[in-house]
Amino acid sequence: MSSSIAAEAAPKAKTSSPMARMAGDWLPPAVTFVIVAVLWQVVALNNPYVLPTLESVGNSMASDPHMYWANMLVTCQEIVIGAGAGILFGFLLAVAMSELPIIEKAMMPLIVVIMVTPVVAIAPALVVAFGFGMLPKYIVTGLVVFFPMLVNSLAGLRDVDQKALDVFKTLHASRWETFRDLRLPGCMPFVFAGLRIAMPLAVVGAAVAEFVAAGQQAGLGSLVTISAAQADLPVTWASIALLCLLGVVLVSLLALLRKRVLWWSDADVIGR
Amino acid sequence: MPAPIQASNDRYPGEAGVEVANITKSFGPDEARVTVLNGVSLTIRKGEFVSLIGPSGCGKSTLLKVVAGLSEADGGKVSINGKSVREASREKAIGLVPQSPALLPWRTILDNVSLPISINPNANAGRKLRDPKEILTSFGLGKAIDRYPAQLSGGMQQRAAIARAFVFDPEILLMDEPFSALDEMNRDQQRMGLLDFWQSNQKSVLFVTHSVPEAIILSDRIVLMAAHPGRIAEIIDVDLPRPRNEALYATDAFRDLEGYVRNALRKVMEAAHV
Ligand SMILES: Nc1ncnc2c1ncn2[C@@H]1O[C@H](COP(=O)(O)OP(=O)(O)O)[C@@H](O)[C@H]1O
Ligand SMILES: [Mg+2]
Repeated sequence: MSSSIAAEAAPKAKTSSPMARMAGDWLPPAVTFVIVAVLWQVVALNNPYVLPTLESVGNSMASDPHMYWANMLVTCQEIVIGAGAGILFGFLLAVAMSELPIIEKAMMPLIVVIMVTPVVAIAPALVVAFGFGMLPKYIVTGLVVFFPMLVNSLAGLRDVDQKALDVFKTLHASRWETFRDLRLPGCMPFVFAGLRIAMPLAVVGAAVAEFVAAGQQAGLGSLVTISAAQADLPVTWASIALLCLLGVVLVSLLALLRKRVLWWSDADVIGR
Repeated sequence: MPAPIQASNDRYPGEAGVEVANITKSFGPDEARVTVLNGVSLTIRKGEFVSLIGPSGCGKSTLLKVVAGLSEADGGKVSINGKSVREASREKAIGLVPQSPALLPWRTILDNVSLPISINPNANAGRKLRDPKEILTSFGLGKAIDRYPAQLSGGMQQRAAIARAFVFDPEILLMDEPFSALDEMNRDQQRMGLLDFWQSNQKSVLFVTHSVPEAIILSDRIVLMAAHPGRIAEIIDVDLPRPRNEALYATDAFRDLEGYVRNALRKVMEAAHV
């Protein structure tokens, strides 16, 4: 059902062969990547202390995949647990704030103060407080995504269609019914906008957490700092590439999820 | 629809219907307070279709909101079949059709129209709930039940919004310029759809409009409001036979009445400009 609707709602593409369309979509960015790779190689071959050659980066990954895999898992763990908690908490606090304005009044100033404090500055203090384990890293990663989630979810919960709300009120809908059937589904476009900001930030947050709350010296961010200190550029750049990959995967997964959950929002835009 | 069609309305003189008594309402801070409704009184008998017409800003929507319980009046009283607005709302006795369809875009048309049945289910006991599918079919939306609002035209969306208000068998239907966002051809089609449906399901309706022909073809009575402050200038009986259809537009009786209402409206508006 939903797939047929998506097909109907989608703007009709200009009739051209699928091959030509694919080439049109893929060719320009592919050309950009090739040009960058060539420039990279030129710089790397002439200045080995500035950039490693692409093969040396590839060789580094191929020679010790387990080491990279293990570090990537640590970073993933920080993202899943830390950012997951930050996202959930941001959303739940937004719900509480929209249902009970007193909570917003009481907490918003504190949250703004926390948010304008640089996370990088809080992190060492968190290490002192919580030790060298994973907890400070979860907190740093969570803090980074918390605010965009809170702000976007709150905007979404407030952006309720007033006319639909009037209909709910005349039906004497309970608060819970209004939340379940109107506010919650209605805020999803904003929640996804928040997630779209939060996903890349989650990767940044995890890497920064590993820089400043080093502790166990594990994770792709730690790998970057350690290898850079030893001027081991292939490892540094391999780790950076994997962090980048992580971000791309997260954003792509989110886009897939959005298509499933939020097809009506796009259809809505096209319909009017 | 196997409903009796009567030449006149099914009115029960003994029963209350909706009574609006001496409603006042003003907005703004004390020093710049503007009276929007000044002692508005009117009765909508059971099964009666009443239109509210008047210059824009005269307080039609405000009055409707007061009757719907969406806005608190400063003074006066509204009772719906003897109940306060609050009680009536608790009993799900009020059906609202806002100016925009306000359908939920993530629900199919059928699920949108079923919404008032699932909301506040305690109030469902002992009432004649309609089958959402059947009501959509009688509104000409039988083929659209599995579609989503964005896939329908504005006119069809508004018809679904009207079906949503009828489906739970409320005691009073409140409609605020439901066709004003539609283009003229669509508007006339929707108007006739509502006329047909209402004539076989005579419910009390308070219908805000700014179209004189629309008010005449649909209504039993037209309440003409004046502005600054909002008040009732005149109540005009529409003594045209029912069931009505498009042919009525072409009759002398319709044209005479249209002339009369337009004239009354003009007088109200001129008085406001002096
Ligand atoms: N919430 C409000 N606050 C202040 N003024 C309002 C509010 N709602 C309506 N008004 C004013 O009351 C008057 C009547 O408005 P309304 O009932 O919407 O008119 P109508 O529906 O007849 O066009 C207008 O002058 C409008 O500016
Ligand atoms: Mg209005």
